[in-house]
Amino acid sequence: MLTNNTVLALFKDSEDETLCSPLLTRIAGIVRMVAGEDPAASFKNLKVLGIEPALIIISARLYPAARLDLVSNLRNIFPGTEFLVISSAADPFPPLKLLAADMVRHLAINPAGSGNGNGDMAKSWFLPAVHNLVERRSWDMADYLKPGTPIQEFAFSSSEQKEALIAELETLIRGESPDADLLRQKGALLADEMLENAMYGAPRGADDHKIYRKGEKRAIFPREGISFRFGFDGETLAMEVTDGWGSLSPDMVLKHLAQNQDRRELSDDTGGRGLFIIWRILDHFHVSITPGRQTVVGGHLRASSPMDLETPRGFHIATHAENSL
Amino acid sequence: MQTAFSIMPGRADDHDYFAFHGNIDALAEGQLKELPGKIRRPLVKFDFSRTGRINSMGIALLLRCLKTIREEKKAEVRLLELSPMNTMLFKMTGVFLLAQPEK
Repeated sequence: MLTNNTVLALFKDSEDETLCSPLLTRIAGIVRMVAGEDPAASFKNLKVLGIEPALIIISARLYPAARLDLVSNLRNIFPGTEFLVISSAADPFPPLKLLAADMVRHLAINPAGSGNGNGDMAKSWFLPAVHNLVERRSWDMADYLKPGTPIQEFAFSSSEQKEALIAELETLIRGESPDADLLRQKGALLADEMLENAMYGAPRGADDHKIYRKGEKRAIFPREGISFRFGFDGETLAMEVTDGWGSLSPDMVLKHLAQNQDRRELSDDTGGRGLFIIWRILDHFHVSITPGRQTVVGGHLRASSPMDLETPRGFHIATHAENSL
Repeated sequence: MQTAFSIMPGRADDHDYFAFHGNIDALAEGQLKELPGKIRRPLVKFDFSRTGRINSMGIALLLRCLKTIREEKKAEVRLLELSPMNTMLFKMTGVFLLAQPEK
């Protein structure tokens, strides 16, 4: 089997393809297809030719909206391929429970058609995301900041360092405008949630119980590898936290997002609410997991990002083999 | 703004009033647990004008406190002086299903 770097993009119809086109223009070697009666049959022909795409991009108007079984069928043909769903900001948000069930761990939002004019910005994020998926690379926050933006890194040895780090981050975001003030507040809350997850959520005992209780003062051992990185280029704030536990699973992340998104039952327990808040505030949310070895949770947001719950958000949840570190 | 959490009761004619100072997080647990026991009247107002950051643990504690007040004290809670950030957070996490911002 010849596995190559082909990227396939599947659309419901020509209108759908036109809507998605602005995001896809700079992807080298992309093959676009409007789904016919049986798109899986066309892909079987590719398989016969020895082509296994590195990435299949599917419009949400096709999956899950029109063909619920598409991803499971394609996964049977191309078991090693990653799937990325593109959802238009103007369309209903795809049900996360369905994406979770099909192990679709990459969702991008296409602002075209929503009238919010962020097309160029979205393109600048989408391209590195596609390259990362094709090349099986981890998310690099520098890709989302202006070239040369300094990235600060703090290694943690105590939970008591959290507030000092947050104060440092707030200092980096200068300006008195309402946007700057809001970005400082969002950045502070994101850093808080990310660090709480790394310091209290990630450490697990042999039976998977949490070792530490939130709020307790605790030493952080060097082998836990808890560090926080952040950069701000005057418009975009990017940040990520790394822990050396690798205890989060992609299924768990999607389950938490889906449960909190549905919010049918008002629960006062904290199951995944922190991850949900991180996802909803960031413009784009990234999780990179090397099971048992490392978890990186991060993303980026712009000072001008809308402060509403209606704006849909994307995510990338990637897993890496244990020997990839 | 102070970061350590504290609850300051205030005087009001027709309702119970409490101002929340500082960040609401895991360290607020004890005080928020005790708060329902201090409710005497059917209308309660929580003032957030001096509140700092509220994280997911703080949201969980607030939800628990609000549920207890509704179920055990049968009191209505109104929220005062919410920042845009806290308004978004409360919408996102269902706090407004238990207590409404004061108009």
